[in-house]
Amino acid sequence: MATLKIENLTKTFHAHSKGGLPTRAIQDISFEMSGQVFVSLVGPSGCGKSTLLNIVSGVDTPSTGTVTVTQDGKKARLGYVFQDPRLLPWRTVMQNMLYVSDLHEEEGRANATKYLEMVGLEHAHEMYPGQLSGGMQQRVGIARAFSVSPDLLLMDEPFSHLDAITARSLREELQVMWNATKKTVLFVTHDVLEAVQLSNRIITLAHGGTVFDDTTVELPFPRKASDPDFAAHQAEILGRFEVMEAERAAAAG
Amino acid sequence: MAEAATLEGTSRRLAGARLRRASGVVLGWGAFVGLWAFTSSVILTEFTLPGPLKVWDAIWVIVTAGSWADDFLISISKTFMGFAIAVLIGTPIGYLMGRAGYWKAFFHDGVVGAGSVPGIVYAMMALVIFGIGYLGPVLAVGLISMPFIALNVAEGLEGVDTDLLKMSKAFGRSERQSLRHILIPSILPFAFAGVRLSFAIAWKVEALTEVFGSSNGVGFQIRFAFQGFSIPRVLAWTLMFIALLLLIERALAVLERWLFRWRTWEQEE
Repeated sequence: MATLKIENLTKTFHAHSKGGLPTRAIQDISFEMSGQVFVSLVGPSGCGKSTLLNIVSGVDTPSTGTVTVTQDGKKARLGYVFQDPRLLPWRTVMQNMLYVSDLHEEEGRANATKYLEMVGLEHAHEMYPGQLSGGMQQRVGIARAFSVSPDLLLMDEPFSHLDAITARSLREELQVMWNATKKTVLFVTHDVLEAVQLSNRIITLAHGGTVFDDTTVELPFPRKASDPDFAAHQAEILGRFEVMEAERAAAAG
Repeated sequence: MAEAATLEGTSRRLAGARLRRASGVVLGWGAFVGLWAFTSSVILTEFTLPGPLKVWDAIWVIVTAGSWADDFLISISKTFMGFAIAVLIGTPIGYLMGRAGYWKAFFHDGVVGAGSVPGIVYAMMALVIFGIGYLGPVLAVGLISMPFIALNVAEGLEGVDTDLLKMSKAFGRSERQSLRHILIPSILPFAFAGVRLSFAIAWKVEALTEVFGSSNGVGFQIRFAFQGFSIPRVLAWTLMFIALLLLIERALAVLERWLFRWRTWEQEE
């Protein structure tokens, strides 16, 4: 069972120019998540959501505090879906899948095929990313992340660069994939509707990189935005957002 | 029905475009030969500028004599040896320049300076250092090509998509895997552009160095013909040299299209 434990995490970026002030992206964040959960991190732009994910993945380092990701006491395996697909343009879809695989060639191919089928791209093995639409490329990105059998799957606003129709269809596909695999997922989004549709738990970050709210979503899957309970949850979280903005405005004077 | 008609229309358009390109090449050569014949017979004399037919006769004599291939092989081998040296030295220098500001500052002026030295200087220096022989042209080609390789490799590295490197790290790939699958493929198109650009220059310098200090090769044959006042033979060797250059250039273009076929779709987007 994968466990992510974040304790007193702070991240400060040093100023690039002489005389510039350092920027604090995350300030003293602590939370823990474990098991078959889909946790969404929501919050306004610049509140440190993506920075947090980069630190969890090891791409970035914390200024202070600790982040541990374990699977049954051992170092956990991570998968990552980025905002943009980040596929190697000079490699075919299959080669992109195999690049992140630690399996032997034959086994890796069979595994990649399984996940490409899950995202409806079984016909695209030998195609180059440049031959695919943005939505198809992101599908490969999702299949790639699932294919490494991650203990913890990190997703950084994976649908934000897509049109509304493609994003909706991919959200539904993700829901199906998560129900089939029940991975531990940490999902970053600024879209409350997306968070309510996909998550068991929603953590709201405030400006300045602090945890403002941490709530669970107990609605049955598959979730539809037209469902009154769904709309009520969404309204509740948006209401908290308004409180957060009001507090921020009051603090600013 | 409609799809078949569209496909037929597309293949007809492609065939038309190919025919237009081929006719352009034929007419281009025709215009060149016509202008040459006109200049030779009307503006100048057959002695100062032999006409196409006279040069064709000289080519025929050279080809039927049989040893022309040896001279070309020697010139080609010197060019490729020099090129190999340029790649061996230029690639690590370009790698350092592209990876660290310090090394860029260290090498930049020297590399740009080396690239701007006229080819004739390298040819003369090679003659002075190595005398008449095989090594002079090789060194001259290496020195003239190296800056192009180094600068293009550095440019390629500076343009590497750092998001891809972050992706690689996030998936736990090693530095070696990132080098092989991200850095090298990123540099390759730039390095190849450097190779194509410097190849034509390298050939000229190689031939020039052979004119000054060699006892074989195409450059030597041109000098030999010139010393014997045989202008048709000078032009014959020059034309054969150009033909070979064009062939290699076409082969490189085909190789480039195949190596970087993934870019076709990137460019179409």
